[in-house]
Amino acid sequence: MSIQTASDVPMIELKNVNKHFGSLHVLKDISLSVKKGEVVVIIGPSGSGKSTLCRTINRLETIDSGEIWFDGAKLPEEGRELANLRSQIGMVFQSFNLFAHMSVLDNMTLAPTSVRRVPKAEARAEAMRLLERVGVGDQAHKVPAELSGGQQQRAAIARALAMHPKAMLFDEPTSALDPEMIGEVLNVMTELAREGMTMVIVTHEMNFARRVSDRVIFMDGGSIVEENTPEAFFSHPRTRRAADFLQSIQK
Amino acid sequence: MSLSALLNEYGGMYLRALLNTWRLTAICFTGAFIIGVLVTVLRVCPVKPLRAFGVFYVQVFRNIPGAAMLIILVYALPRLRILLSFEMCVIVASVLIPSAFCSEHLMSGMNTINPGQIEAARALGLTFTQMITRIVIPQALRSTVLPMTSLCVSTMLTTALGSQVSLRPHQLELTGVVNYINSRAVGGIMAFAISAALYVMTALLIGWVGARIDRKVRILR
Repeated sequence: MSIQTASDVPMIELKNVNKHFGSLHVLKDISLSVKKGEVVVIIGPSGSGKSTLCRTINRLETIDSGEIWFDGAKLPEEGRELANLRSQIGMVFQSFNLFAHMSVLDNMTLAPTSVRRVPKAEARAEAMRLLERVGVGDQAHKVPAELSGGQQQRAAIARALAMHPKAMLFDEPTSALDPEMIGEVLNVMTELAREGMTMVIVTHEMNFARRVSDRVIFMDGGSIVEENTPEAFFSHPRTRRAADFLQSIQK
Repeated sequence: MSLSALLNEYGGMYLRALLNTWRLTAICFTGAFIIGVLVTVLRVCPVKPLRAFGVFYVQVFRNIPGAAMLIILVYALPRLRILLSFEMCVIVASVLIPSAFCSEHLMSGMNTINPGQIEAARALGLTFTQMITRIVIPQALRSTVLPMTSLCVSTMLTTALGSQVSLRPHQLELTGVVNYINSRAVGGIMAFAISAALYVMTALLIGWVGARIDRKVRILR
């Protein structure tokens, strides 16, 4: 009998996860394990289930069968335990989803003060540090609509970081951005990865995936078709479908 | 009677009636607003029977004419050994009916919230209560200031139900005071016109305040 030490426990583990949208089988028997500090990029054609997969990890999407574990604990079904677990997983969305009626600063402090009961002054100081770090400190007192897309997304990343998450999920974080703003968001993410954050990233940014990830997951038709190192995946993918996909996006 | 004769003789009563209408409107709109918010929370909460109750509440009170509501309160409740004063009957009717409309406005206000913000709130670990009180209700309120302004005006008009029960002279509101005057003197159309002017003035005031609040709290998108 082997004893697992804390560092052996995967940060995120999916075991035989299945999900249907009506008659559509969107996740087919997905098993995936993400180690602490690992950066995993999920790529694939649209409709392949990659966003859905990402969203099951904090149960924004429920699953029909299988198990999902986070840092050694099985994902609770609902209620306070689920809220508590979600607070440990940062999530960044395609459409930023900052709270429209609050200043950027209030967006940052809402969850730390109400979920974690951090004193207000402390939360504000930390929020300002994080906003400075992602380069939008001077926007703290504006409302989200006054910021550019790139600034909003960087603020959204800072908002997730304010909860000191054990892992971060990125669901196509640059897909809604104008091309000139993609770089600034990817830079923040690259820095996070270098600092050892556990990250699961759904993205279409292939250069970024190649440069930053430890592992690439290629999905198609609801299944994981290929799992590979970024170097091997992008230079000589093992599967035909991955090769076709890479060729189709290089046109 | 001429305008000056009416004002000479009944000016004080009109003033008191105006203040009574304002008082009733303030009480009833506040009550309707609070109940409307609570019912709306029920309508979106995760517990199915509570949701069903919220929908039922709105359907019932949205579809009862004010006069019928008043008859129920005045004549039916005493049979259940619940005896309310006439003024309280007017207040209850003018709270319950607008509260249903308040909830409808808030539901449409909620529909303006991008569902992504709800997901973000859940992803941050906010509980249902925190999400409702910090994200959903504040945004729904901010985007429904103008319909709420109309609701406040229609609540004021609903308090005219006070003219249909026998209130004491010092409790009369703007419509009741006309009945009172016309039963004692021949006030004619002028007696109504004075009350009408005071209603219109109040409505304009409410509209002006509402527009100012709306400009201040409107959400940039």
